[in-house]
Amino acid sequence: MRKLLNELSSDCASAYHINSDIKIDNITVPENLIRKSKLQLPTISENELFRYFTNLSRKNYALSTVFYPLGSCTMKYNPLVNEYIAKLEKFTMLHPLQDLITVQGSLEIMYNLEEILCKISGMDAFSLQQAAGAHGEITGLLIIAKYFASIKQKRTKIIIPDSAHGTNSASATYAGFEVISLKSEKNGNISLQKLKNILNSEVAAVMLTVPNTLGIFEKKILEIAELIHENGSLLYYDGANLNAILGVAKPGDMGFDIMHINLHKTFSTPHGGGGPGSGPVGVKKFLEPFLPIPRIIKIKKHEFCFNYFKPNSIGKVKAFFGNFPVILKAYVYIRSLGKEGLKNVSKYAVLNANYLLAKLKHKIKVSCEDKCMHEFVLAPKVILKNGVKTIDIAKRLLDYGYYAPTIYFPTIVEEAIMIEPTETESKQTLDEFSETLLKIIDEIECNPEKVKNSPFNTEVKRLNEVVAARKPILKW
Amino acid sequence: MDYTQRNKKNIQEMLKTIKVNKINELFDMIPEKLISNVSIEEGKTEQEICLEFKDTARKNKLLTCFRGAGIYDHFIPSLVNEIIGRSEFWTSYTPYQAEASQGTLQAIFEYQSLICALTGLDVSNASLYDGATAVVEAILLALKIKNIPKGKILISSALNPEYIRTILTYLENFDVDIVFLKTHDGSIDIKELNEFLLNDIQTIITIVIQSPNFFGIVEDMKTISSIVKKSDILFISVVNPLSLGVFCSPGEYGADIAVGEGQALGLPMNFGGSTLGFMAIKKYLTWKIPGRLVGKTIDKNGNPGFILTLQSREQHIRRERATSNICSNSSLNAIAACVFLSGWGKNEFVKLAKINIAKAKYAFNKIRAIKGFRAKFSENKFFFNEFVIETEKNINKINTVLLNNRILGPLNLSNTFLNKKDFRQCMLFCVTEQRTKKEIDTLIKILSSI
Repeated sequence: MRKLLNELSSDCASAYHINSDIKIDNITVPENLIRKSKLQLPTISENELFRYFTNLSRKNYALSTVFYPLGSCTMKYNPLVNEYIAKLEKFTMLHPLQDLITVQGSLEIMYNLEEILCKISGMDAFSLQQAAGAHGEITGLLIIAKYFASIKQKRTKIIIPDSAHGTNSASATYAGFEVISLKSEKNGNISLQKLKNILNSEVAAVMLTVPNTLGIFEKKILEIAELIHENGSLLYYDGANLNAILGVAKPGDMGFDIMHINLHKTFSTPHGGGGPGSGPVGVKKFLEPFLPIPRIIKIKKHEFCFNYFKPNSIGKVKAFFGNFPVILKAYVYIRSLGKEGLKNVSKYAVLNANYLLAKLKHKIKVSCEDKCMHEFVLAPKVILKNGVKTIDIAKRLLDYGYYAPTIYFPTIVEEAIMIEPTETESKQTLDEFSETLLKIIDEIECNPEKVKNSPFNTEVKRLNEVVAARKPILKW
Repeated sequence: MDYTQRNKKNIQEMLKTIKVNKINELFDMIPEKLISNVSIEEGKTEQEICLEFKDTARKNKLLTCFRGAGIYDHFIPSLVNEIIGRSEFWTSYTPYQAEASQGTLQAIFEYQSLICALTGLDVSNASLYDGATAVVEAILLALKIKNIPKGKILISSALNPEYIRTILTYLENFDVDIVFLKTHDGSIDIKELNEFLLNDIQTIITIVIQSPNFFGIVEDMKTISSIVKKSDILFISVVNPLSLGVFCSPGEYGADIAVGEGQALGLPMNFGGSTLGFMAIKKYLTWKIPGRLVGKTIDKNGNPGFILTLQSREQHIRRERATSNICSNSSLNAIAACVFLSGWGKNEFVKLAKINIAKAKYAFNKIRAIKGFRAKFSENKFFFNEFVIETEKNINKINTVLLNNRILGPLNLSNTFLNKKDFRQCMLFCVTEQRTKKEIDTLIKILSSI
């Protein structure tokens, strides 16, 4: 660890300076409003700050430096042209409350993206206001609540499979619902019988991820949808795994009534070390009146405006209109790829995942049968010997220059290792990765201490979680 | 064009390894009647895409900005974009594998420290989506601490209307009573607040006050807090971080939670998003805070390092009992804010805040001196960046004339969400350090001519 900012601080001149062409020395802030406590901001020169942050960046494994096979996260290549366009001043320097005639370019992009997402997903309308996947979920669930209130039905429960992302349950709770957990089958599929057993008139919706988090497509999705609709409940699609079916199949055709898409997964916008993302919400026509305001509408061929007058809308879910740069990058991506390119995404994502699966499944137990969609989950419990755990494999991968796959998720697979290679990786990368993983499996046998004590080649060695949590140090 | 490898020889080998003949066979799991095409245009090359989007960008107009209302035109030092432009930051994932993510983790630890330094509170999380959702998360946190059925949430009616709308959406299905606190002469009516709290103290869960408020007025947070703190009501303060260079910090006046919009800290206006929600809290609330937290720890050799900590609060572990549903946040924007905050030093940061005060004050004095324009609130109200002017003239016409001069004029308050008859002929001006004297004088000249 290099020195922290407060330790780098000195009596030197600061990095940034500002002058004013209007006098500032005649301001007298009233006594009761003035800050009296010390303002502990560091003073550091620009040269030193530049070096400090540049060196920090070099301590990250990033998609631009290594393979990032993180299951469920779709760490695909982030095209540079998207970044270039999103940084054009005519996009970044717009105020959200500018007169509409001065923001027609941005409105056109948002309108077009909504339309294209409808085509891709089989939904009838989209809202782009949501800042992340979980934000999309809670928006969707608030729409579901409002819909049932509008038809005067009291439905208070949401069914969520135990293989789902944790955000599903948390979002349902914060939207005011009670969560009923549905036990998945071994391969993550839904049992129609088990679903039937828990469906009743109190169930507002069922949230599903298709393909599921084990990378398996729900073959009986049409029957599941029918069952749910017969019960008067709605079907929600968690778009985390949309990459697997892009350009091939549509959630709208499967019977889903409402969904969210993670633009930062399927549509290539960067993760930024954890955000900002974007989680547009799509609905079938009967739910359109409930979407957040404002809605973008086209009034003439090339003229767009906002419609705030939607009496049944759930309201606003954040300030203004959404994470515009993320929206723009996703739109640029879709336009670059076009019809064929979109299809290639799922085609090669599924090919790459199956190839990696074929290379590994003879040595490591997998939780799917023979094939998978865009990702798969290894269940290495039986080969874990000599006290080695999944986390040790993950850390050892860091030594070999890979980011680790998602581990211990989904929780229905013990010691799970979830791998999603994405469509943008080459055969060579996949070959090298599978060889490395198998090498580590050998190490478990012949040199377990090495695996357990890894990583060795990273900036810091194995970090202690317990120490961090026992007496949390959360600032200087 | 797309970004797949499409190497025919490799594909054949891969198919052979998988033991299928065609890629399509891998999609056999999908029922045939669900297979369909997407009817969109053919793809484009990078050159074609750039041409097209530059064309679209031309339909947007860059204006000299005198509008704020939650998003502000501030100066962004070059270093900020240089650092967040490092692909090691923007193409990495959430730092779950700490040993391979020390860059992001240390930067966020610095960010948390700087937010605590600004707000004077004990703990900051790693960021939230934006100011509006940060206020919502603060209220949800308060609801977890004080669970009173049909309890009251007092909200300043001078809170940004975008935030109010967001709160109303989120709380629709909660068993709570939202009460708006009246303002008097542009700020919280202290007398009314006092009476309110005297009569109804048992049922109040939390109180939300913004300062500077939506009208730009700096609230007397010390007095408000001294009234609120007579009880165990959670005090949520919504602050503009830039203003804290000069004004009393939430820590000083005893707020339990400080939240706000961090866009002013080195982020472009971006049409209103993506921005940065920040949250800082008193220590006793640590286990209830939403979102990620970076903590300092040691590695197995005893060397210091950083790691995501207290994760059992979060959705991926606690599921429906998590402190929030948030997963992705605004990490890269938090790093931008960190680079922004670390480069000014105390003196220049205070000066920056003062310039914002001085320039707004200069414009205010000039505008209210014009015939037909007057200050909406009394002389002694102290404001930051923004101020309200009342006029008999047609505000839409004023803005049209300004627009013809490439100026984004004031916000017409008669069009906003909450302020109906009280603000019929009122407008909200915003002046930041970005506006030059010349630009302000031009604005005055045009206003005088209308």
